[in-house]
Amino acid sequence: MATFTDNPQPGTLPQWLQQQARQQGMGIALRHKRLGVWQLRTWGQLAAEVEQLAAALQVRGFVPGASLVIVSRPRPEALIAALAAQWLGGVAVLLDPLEAAASQVTLLRELHGEWVFAEGHEEIQRLRAAGLAPRLLIYADGRGLAQVSQAGDTLAFAQLQQQRSDHRPELQARAERTAFAFYRLGAGQRIEQQRISHAELLQDGRRLVHSEQLGRQDEALAARAFAAGGHARYLLAPWLMAGFRLNFPENLATRDQDRRELGPTLVAGTRATYERLHAQVLARLPAPGSWRRRLVEWALVEHPGALQRHLGYWLIRRPLRDVLGFSRTRAPLLVGEALAPPTLAFFRALAIEVRTWPDPAQWHRPVPWPAPLVNGWIEDNTQPA
Amino acid sequence: MTQTQAKATQVEHLLELENIGVSFKGVNAVTDISFAVVTGEICALIGPNGAGKSSLLNVINGVYQAQEGRIRFAGQEHRRMRPHDVAVRGIARTFQNIALFKGMSVLDNVLTGRTLKRRSNWIEQALRIGRAAGEDDRQREAAERVIEFLHLQPWRDTLVGKLPYGLQKRVELARALAAEPRLLLLDEPMAGMNADEKQQMSRFIVDINRELGTTVVLIEHDIGVVMGISDHVVVLDYGRKIGDGPPDEVRQSPEVIAAYLGTRH
Repeated sequence: MATFTDNPQPGTLPQWLQQQARQQGMGIALRHKRLGVWQLRTWGQLAAEVEQLAAALQVRGFVPGASLVIVSRPRPEALIAALAAQWLGGVAVLLDPLEAAASQVTLLRELHGEWVFAEGHEEIQRLRAAGLAPRLLIYADGRGLAQVSQAGDTLAFAQLQQQRSDHRPELQARAERTAFAFYRLGAGQRIEQQRISHAELLQDGRRLVHSEQLGRQDEALAARAFAAGGHARYLLAPWLMAGFRLNFPENLATRDQDRRELGPTLVAGTRATYERLHAQVLARLPAPGSWRRRLVEWALVEHPGALQRHLGYWLIRRPLRDVLGFSRTRAPLLVGEALAPPTLAFFRALAIEVRTWPDPAQWHRPVPWPAPLVNGWIEDNTQPA
Repeated sequence: MTQTQAKATQVEHLLELENIGVSFKGVNAVTDISFAVVTGEICALIGPNGAGKSSLLNVINGVYQAQEGRIRFAGQEHRRMRPHDVAVRGIARTFQNIALFKGMSVLDNVLTGRTLKRRSNWIEQALRIGRAAGEDDRQREAAERVIEFLHLQPWRDTLVGKLPYGLQKRVELARALAAEPRLLLLDEPMAGMNADEKQQMSRFIVDINRELGTTVVLIEHDIGVVMGISDHVVVLDYGRKIGDGPPDEVRQSPEVIAAYLGTRH
C-alpha cells in the first residue's frame, strides 16, 4: 500500500503537485460530480492545467506577491486557479462561500482585488456591488453573463485554458511566503485576516498525514475546502502531500448525498458539518416512546454490552453510518471549534471517533491596503512556520 | 417606410394567431383573437379569471381545436394541430394543475420529456440493439443538463410526490424543457408560490429564454412578475383581446386598467 514518505520534501504546495504528477501522473487527483457523474482529473492533467493557467496569468501581468481573490464554492476550477496563483509566487485569497452576500461585498470592497476568480453570475454581481474593477476577472460558469465586458478583462476559465501557449512559467512559490489568505468580518464589522505560508501549511499537513496515516488510497470530500484556514492546513495540504483523491460535490446542496454515495475515508468537517448531520438524523428518528425509538436508543448507548454491540451494529449503527456517508470513514476530523457534547456523544455511539484539529492561526487586522512592498514582495505578516 | 416600420417587418414571428375563435356548446371562450409572438421573446398572456387564457394556450398546444382562425408556427400555417404534432414541431408546455408522475423520481419524470427525442423503436429498445445502444446514456445526459440548469440536483432521485409544491412546478418545467422546445408554453408557472419561489422561478424562465434562446408564452396572474420579465404582453378579457404591446404600454392602457380594477363590468 502506497503511503506518504519523508523522502525528498518539496517546500511549497505547487512543488508537491509537481511531485505527485511525476510519481503518479495517471493516478486520480480530483473528482467532481457533474451531470450526475463523477468526472476525473489525474495528477498529470491537474499539474498541466495549473501550469497552463499560471502561464495565462503571467502573460497578463500576474507577478510574485500578487493576490488572486477567489469568490467561489469549492470546485476544481477554483482550486486550479489558487494553485496557479501560488505557482507564480502569489497568494490565493479565499472568502467563505457561505458568508452572507452583504458581508462578502464589504470584504470585496476592502480587498481591492486586481485578480479575481468568480464562480458565476451571482459572484460577479457581488464584485460589481463592491465597485471592483479587476484587471482580470476569471469566471467558471458563464450562465447569465451575456453582457460580459469585451475589453478582455473578463474571461471564462475554459477560454483561458484553451489558449495554448509554449510559454512555461517558472515555479516561483517560496516556502516562507503566504500561500493562502482568508478574510472575514469580525467583531464590530471589522475586517480580519489569516495568512498562512507554504511552510506552515506543509508542517501542519505533514503532522496530519503522519498522525492519521493518510496515503494514496484515501478519499476525501471537499465540501468546505475554501471555508477557513483549517481546511487549507488539514485537507488541501495533506491532499497534495499524501496524494489521495479529493472529491468536490455537485454543489453545496448535494454534499450530504454525495458523501453518502462516495463513502470518503477522510472527512474534514467543521462543527457546523457534524451538527447538521446530527440534526438530520434526530429529525428522522422514530417518535419518542415508540418501540423503534427505544431500539435506536438501546443500540446507541455509550458503553454497549456484547449483544448491544453486535446486534446494534447490524440493526442501527451500520445503516446510520451509511446514511451519513461515514460507512468507510477512518479519519473523521473536526477542523476548528470543538463539538458540543451531545453531538460528540452521538458520533461516538456510532463508533465514529471525531478527532479535533484546531485551527492555530489567529485572526488579526490586516495591514492598510495596499501593503508596503518589501524587496519586491508584499509584506504579508505570515505566521512563522 | 420609417426605420421602425422597416425593423418591424424584419422581426421573425415564431407564432402567429389570426382571428382565433373557440366556443363550447355555443359559449364563446375566445373570440377573434389575433397576435404574434416574436422569436426569442417572453410573451405573457394576462387577464382576469375566465378571460380565455388557458383556452388559448390549449389551442396553441392542440388540445383544443379552434373553430375559427388560423395558427402559423415557424412559418407553417396550420388550421388544426394535434398535441403530438405540436410536440414534434417543438412546442412544449406545463399545466396549471401539476401533471407529473408522482410515483416516479425527478430524473425519470424529466426523462419522459425526452420521449420524442428517442430514435430507436420499441423492438430495438427491447432487444438493446441498433440505435438503442448508447441512447439511454445520451438521453440521461440530456436530462441531467436540464436538471443542472434548473438546480434540481439535490432531488434527482426523490419521488416527485414527496416534493413541495414549488419544486414540483420546477420539475414540470424541467420535463417540458427536456423536449428542447422552440416554444415553451407555461400555464401559471408561479401559481401558489411564495415570493421567494416566484423570484426563483422568474429567474429560471428568464434564463431559459436568454441562455437557451427558447421563446416563452406564459400565463401569469402576478402582474409585477409579468411586467418584470416579459417583452410583450397580451391582455384578454371575456375572451377578447383588449391589449397587446410592450409591458409599459399595456400598463397604461385605460381598457386594461379598467378590466383589472373591475370598473368595466
